[in-house]
Amino acid sequence: MKLYVPHVGHLEGLEMLLAGSGNIYGVYMAGSPEYIGTGRTNLSAPKLEDIAVQTEYAHEKGVKLEIVLNSSCMGGQHLTPEGYRSIDWYFNRLNDIGIDSITVADPYLVEMLARDYDMEVVVSVLSFVDSPQKAEFYEDLGADTIVIDSAINRHFDKLEAIKESVSCELKLLVNEGCLYQCPFRYAHFNFFSHANGPGPKPNVTDDYYYYKCLSLRIQNPELIIKSPWIRPEDLKEYKHITDIFKIGGRTHFVNWTLNVVNAYANESYDGNLMDLLDCPKDLMDLFYIPNKELDGALAQWKQCEKVCKRCGYCKRLTEKITQVYSTEGTGQVLKPLHTMGKQQ
Amino acid sequence: MTLTEQLLISRGELENKLRNMLGKPIFLIEMDGFALPCGCSGATINTRGLQVDDLEVFEEYILKYLTDTAQSLGIDPSFVFARLIPGTSEIASLNLRMLCNHCYMDFARGSGKQPRPDIYILRFNRK
Repeated sequence: MKLYVPHVGHLEGLEMLLAGSGNIYGVYMAGSPEYIGTGRTNLSAPKLEDIAVQTEYAHEKGVKLEIVLNSSCMGGQHLTPEGYRSIDWYFNRLNDIGIDSITVADPYLVEMLARDYDMEVVVSVLSFVDSPQKAEFYEDLGADTIVIDSAINRHFDKLEAIKESVSCELKLLVNEGCLYQCPFRYAHFNFFSHANGPGPKPNVTDDYYYYKCLSLRIQNPELIIKSPWIRPEDLKEYKHITDIFKIGGRTHFVNWTLNVVNAYANESYDGNLMDLLDCPKDLMDLFYIPNKELDGALAQWKQCEKVCKRCGYCKRLTEKITQVYSTEGTGQVLKPLHTMGKQQ
Repeated sequence: MTLTEQLLISRGELENKLRNMLGKPIFLIEMDGFALPCGCSGATINTRGLQVDDLEVFEEYILKYLTDTAQSLGIDPSFVFARLIPGTSEIASLNLRMLCNHCYMDFARGSGKQPRPDIYILRFNRK
């Protein structure tokens, strides 16, 4: 199994990460937002010198280093002559440094990278590759690896069709807790891309999409169960698709990341499922979903027609196993979800 | 008891009251005490899962709970309001504020429940 692991972006973080686990195949981090942003929040914006030092360090440890430049919207700037020159300059510097791969979301950048540089081209999960046709398109454009849209993580028919249709590497993002068929996905990643890109950056007080995402799950906790995460125990069910798995979570502490790496490397986790999910991390302090009690759920999801109104499996499962953290004095206790609204 | 210990207790108590009333796991993600250079002071409670409908239906009770919270923190707020994400049903925070003279004038000039698209007033003590 090859695990790609998030890295916050500074050398100290990388040293802690690689000292903490021998199960890391590759690390990935954002580059400098002055050239191309990313579709997610970052804790750092490493300069080229920082990337060079960290690439050397990762390679000494036998670990691959990937730079993520997966902005889903650049406002067309990359298509201008100035934009092209700036991006070309940046790609050349990264190429000189010797990073192993670059993840991008825009087809233009996929083609550009595949033609003119030596770095491996990874198609981002934010390219939303969810069909064999789209996978073939990106492979023809020059992709070495495609991160499959996590929305189809539980659609084995589609995963198998993609596997059958392309010969490039496939990667699965295992711990993204985004809403299944999330209606905010495009707008939210576009917002992040501008907020974490070259600018002008929007001056936003409240991230509507994130607040709404949390609010929907608080109203309907079953939405957490329906999110297309893959449990560590279920990786074996995916090994006919790929053995490359990506862990999400660039904004977490190294300690969190190592806990998740260990869980997926061991293919087992005896604790709160929420500990493993990259997003929405705030709900880790609200819900307790015992991971081991999800044993067998994948068998249902494999043959699920995704018509929730007719099925109700996830709703029943949620009500059965989910607990809520409540405060007593300055301490916390767990209460079953169904007791909410009943005076204790 | 220290200020932060009291904040911990008050956060939990308010969260429990809201959950019991609304029947859903309302999440008070952060409770902060604040003091501003202008002279305003008070507490901000960042909420998730609380919606404008909840406020409109249960305003009387929510105001009472907030008043209890203020009392537990030793705050006597002249201004109690919710901060909304404009144009949506989402409430970003509940706020207990002791207004300075300058800020009082800013808010006293307005009228109605929503003097701004992002503010829903639960109580405003006019001088």
